[in-house]
Amino acid sequence: MSPSRRDLLKAQAAGIAALAANVTLPAGAQPVPGGVDALQIKWSKAPCRFCGTGCGVMVGVKDGRVIATHGDMKAEVNRGLNCVKGYFLSKIMYGADRLTRPLLRKKNGAFAKDGEFTPVSWDEAFDVMAAKAKETLKAKGPTALGMFGSGQWTIFEGYAATKLMRAGFRSNNLDPNARHCMASAAYAFMRTFGMDEPMGCYDDFEHADAFVLWGSNMAEMHPILWTRIADRRLGHPHVKVAVLSTYTQRSSDLADIPIVFKPGTDLAILNYIANHIITTGRVNRDFVDRHATFVKGAVEIGYGLRPDDPREVRAKKAADAGATTPIDFAAYAAFVKDYTLEKTSALTGVEPGFLRQLAELYADPRRKVVSLWTMGFNQHVRGVWANQLVYNLHLLTGKISEPGNSPFSLTGQPSACGTAREVGTFAHRLPADMTVTNPEHRRHAEEIWRIPAGVIPERPGYHAVEQDRALRDGKLNFYWIQVNNNLQASPNNTAEAYPGYRNPENFIVVSDAYPTVTALAADLILPAAMWVEKEGAYGNAERRTHVWHQLVAAPGEARSDLWQMMEFSKRFTTDEVWGAEILDANPDYRGKTLFDVLFRNGQIDRFAAGEVEAGYDNAEARYFGFYVQKGLFEEYAAFGRGHGHDLAPYDTYHAVRGLRWPVVEGKETLWRYREGLDPYVKPGRGVEFYGNKDGKARILAVPYEPPAESPDGEYDLWLVTGRVLEHWHSGSMTMRVPELYKAFTGARVFMHPDDARARGLNQGAEVRVVSRRGEMRSRVETRGRNRMPPGVVFVPWFDASQLINKVTLDATDPISKQTDFKKCAVRILPVSA
Amino acid sequence: MRGQDPAGLRVTAMRTLFALGLAGWLALIFGIASAQQADPVRIVPRLTGTAPPMASEHIPPLGRPIVDDVRRMRNYPEQPPVIPHSIDGYQLTLNANRCMDCHRREFTEGSGAPMISVTHFQDRDGQVLSDVTPRRYFCTACHVQQTDVAPLVPNTFQDAHDVGRKP
Amino acid sequence: MIARLRTLLVGFWHVVSRPSAYLPLGFLTLGGFVCGVVFWGGFNTALELTNTEKFCISCHEMRDNVYQELTQTIHFSNRSGVRASCPDCHVPHNWTDKIARKMQASKEVWGKIFGTIATREKFLGMRLELAKHEWARLKANDSLECRNCHSAAAMDFTKQTRRAADIHSRFLVTREKTCIDCHKGIAHQLPDMTGIEPGWKEAPELQGRQSWLHGHGGADLTAILAELRPSLD
Repeated sequence: MSPSRRDLLKAQAAGIAALAANVTLPAGAQPVPGGVDALQIKWSKAPCRFCGTGCGVMVGVKDGRVIATHGDMKAEVNRGLNCVKGYFLSKIMYGADRLTRPLLRKKNGAFAKDGEFTPVSWDEAFDVMAAKAKETLKAKGPTALGMFGSGQWTIFEGYAATKLMRAGFRSNNLDPNARHCMASAAYAFMRTFGMDEPMGCYDDFEHADAFVLWGSNMAEMHPILWTRIADRRLGHPHVKVAVLSTYTQRSSDLADIPIVFKPGTDLAILNYIANHIITTGRVNRDFVDRHATFVKGAVEIGYGLRPDDPREVRAKKAADAGATTPIDFAAYAAFVKDYTLEKTSALTGVEPGFLRQLAELYADPRRKVVSLWTMGFNQHVRGVWANQLVYNLHLLTGKISEPGNSPFSLTGQPSACGTAREVGTFAHRLPADMTVTNPEHRRHAEEIWRIPAGVIPERPGYHAVEQDRALRDGKLNFYWIQVNNNLQASPNNTAEAYPGYRNPENFIVVSDAYPTVTALAADLILPAAMWVEKEGAYGNAERRTHVWHQLVAAPGEARSDLWQMMEFSKRFTTDEVWGAEILDANPDYRGKTLFDVLFRNGQIDRFAAGEVEAGYDNAEARYFGFYVQKGLFEEYAAFGRGHGHDLAPYDTYHAVRGLRWPVVEGKETLWRYREGLDPYVKPGRGVEFYGNKDGKARILAVPYEPPAESPDGEYDLWLVTGRVLEHWHSGSMTMRVPELYKAFTGARVFMHPDDARARGLNQGAEVRVVSRRGEMRSRVETRGRNRMPPGVVFVPWFDASQLINKVTLDATDPISKQTDFKKCAVRILPVSA
Repeated sequence: MRGQDPAGLRVTAMRTLFALGLAGWLALIFGIASAQQADPVRIVPRLTGTAPPMASEHIPPLGRPIVDDVRRMRNYPEQPPVIPHSIDGYQLTLNANRCMDCHRREFTEGSGAPMISVTHFQDRDGQVLSDVTPRRYFCTACHVQQTDVAPLVPNTFQDAHDVGRKP
Repeated sequence: MIARLRTLLVGFWHVVSRPSAYLPLGFLTLGGFVCGVVFWGGFNTALELTNTEKFCISCHEMRDNVYQELTQTIHFSNRSGVRASCPDCHVPHNWTDKIARKMQASKEVWGKIFGTIATREKFLGMRLELAKHEWARLKANDSLECRNCHSAAAMDFTKQTRRAADIHSRFLVTREKTCIDCHKGIAHQLPDMTGIEPGWKEAPELQGRQSWLHGHGGADLTAILAELRPSLD
């Protein structure tokens, strides 16, 4: 190939410039060796693989490998920025220990629970797996079959999973790890507004005059959203930031109102603020009268522990934790009257001055407030209450559903909203906010799925913590985990999770890209394709659906979770799973495979493989012969279109940086429930919470109740667990990026220096963290990003060699069944003791 | 590259990779190199948990920050440079930004530090401001220190210069 | 009762106000010396008691605010375990200065009584003012309390990072700057630093070159203009 005239000119120009500058160009720095073609990188858009922020990134591919990534300038979420994890996305797929072949525990050439992991073919893997599933189905029926998914599943994968489990195996034992992450938020949305997910969006940040962080360390966990808050706060001096936490952390560094409260007492602060708004006469009566009703919640609702735990036996309303009774405004006002400034200050340990300043942010009608929360609220034995109590404040003042006034629940996983919630992968849910307990909803789903009536079971399945317990007790015997590190994430995992994995009655399958703690505790490991090794779609915390193309090939025999589920479904016929009654009534379905009835149903297979955009590979389309992702997406979209969850046509998403649903007539919706901003609000209504039949939101009266376990003489410290900036979740991706690993090499126990010295522990000393349930080892950190108050310690959970969940308590919010990872009692001992 | 190998070569490549991974890894963790045929499951406690899975084991001391002031090459131009000096006790708050005490344009002459990059002057809309944009105020969201530890497993990421057509 | 006390005091004054007729001079001298030692010793002990970290953090204002911040720093825990406690940096070691500082401290007692910084909220509101007092004091005494431990002459530049050695040789050894110019916030959180620039803002080698162009140089420019003005008038 001869160089073009243009190339020659360029080279000449560079040479002249060098001559003029009196420098000789070294051979390696010769201008454009090989011409500009050699420099070219193919850039494509994708959402980031990590948190729920949903940043857009540009992925650079050269010769089949990702060679660079950077923040997408066109992505509205992040406008060119990434956090340190995002900037290193290009390395997450290239850890040298990627799993590239299925691995089965074998002894003497056959599967054995106590065998060694041995590479096998996909055929052998699926043969053994299908045999085990059929054995379980035959012996105990569909309730002994379960699956644990994730908010990291793509939308298609979550949708395929919910079909495979509910419509295929007729089991509702499907739950996502999002149960540990934002189940409380989802329940609170449903209970307050009758519809899941935030009414506002990130654009609220540029309109707000105050930000209140309720149990969220956004500076580390949502760094890019934090850049938008920092931008607003530092650029506009009138803006105020309040940070509430049980310890001082990086977000506190931007706080005008820094508040450190005693664990669990945030409920009292919320009720105090409501009381302050009422007693100072700043209730927006017009708004409240037109758009809200009041209810009182059941109290003493327990802690979601095993039913024989004394704490559950004592709890009066554990069986009906979510019950409410209607009350009126006067009764509500009388209820919160107890939460005086003095009483709240004494209970929470927060100075009255700060409490009053905080309350004024909400009470002041001229101030627009955004409330933000993540795990501090959601991983809380009263998480649903906490979520609802913050809605109370926004509803009492009418500060909701308009730019800058927004209660905003953040998410921790890239598709916690898009997949776990919207697609309906919770044990009780169906797509588009429907539930399995509602016969109309089941019928509607069966119609869309083109399956016989009565296939979808009515009883909700086991939720996450219940799945662990059922595995241990031998009630759940076939268990498939995809895209998450369940064992590392499970509370009290020595006692409640691990025994179930190794229970000889159970068969555990784990699909993952890397050998994680969970994978190594399984019986069969399936190698998974990750991130841009497959076409995907995620939904972030602001209802934004974001789609990407497959950009590189997965290594070895690794396959996407979607391929795994679809291919596995070919090994079952309806006769094996649906039962005679249904098939007698619907003989057409007899003898068909689950693949035929679920995925070759005339809808999912209606787009040809050739429709995949030119220039991009699609392993699934190539293998199955049709554009699988588009088919799944369009069938799924049928659930939401016209019901407030409208999605745009699939192809649109490849052209844009995501769209916020409902997308009506090509337009996305930024703020819901307000006339003029949301097409679903009927004209003349002003504001309409149309998720509820009466169009009104609920204000909930509930008290402060103590945590499941508090420190005492024997276990004298509060333990809080969480994350760090540099590592995401269990660290299975970020710990394999050398730069991220070297930036934060391992977990440690953040504690107050006086607490450390009182126990004879030096900075950096090795210690045992001991609870009533188990113990782990770590190192003391008395300095750095987290500054603990006396009596509280923090341990991140990303480090597989320091499993802090051996120590945590498996208490949950009894309504949402979400685990409280933020409050249990431990003691810290030197390793020698 | 691996995914595109002809089927026949795949197994060999896999084996080599396993062996390489295992060897590097054993050398790393146990200080011994092994040339044996790889057991496909490789235990790196920090990544995969300990063996047996629920055991508690000795926790090595935390790594020490690298403070040698030597600039590190970036993996690609868009990567934020890592911090090669001590930032112990540096305050980065609403009140003070210790990083900017040296890296702000007008202080670089006295401090000898590199100036923050030009991208750091742009607001959300790409408009260039006269000083660092508030949204880039918290430096440590992107720039991190490194400690003197070896990677847990090798990362096979390849530099753009090492892939594709060679001149 | 009061009458009895008065009789006693008057009697005592009567005895001590006249030269002794009975006791030997040596006893009186020795006695006086012993009393002196006891009183002086007592005073000094009391003074030293107020000169401990334990005393400082017996007030919640100090314990909950500045002490918490100190615990996060190198002056609280470090490689060799040598540590600086509150008085090491905030009370002069030399006697007269110490007494002068202690007399100043009466103002702090006043503040304690009236609760000037009784809450975190109030403390944060006062932080800039409080910090400025300490910066001014350390600037005026050439960072005396720093230098009680850190002698510029004893610094081994080969043991410092290159950057630190360079900056110390340019600014500290030349006495261009004193410790506090660059090391503000070394032991506590900083107040709002708007307008407070780092010590190396004007490097010695740059001074007089183009510094007037920079923000700080505004003052120089004003001075030049002020000089020019009479000729313009």
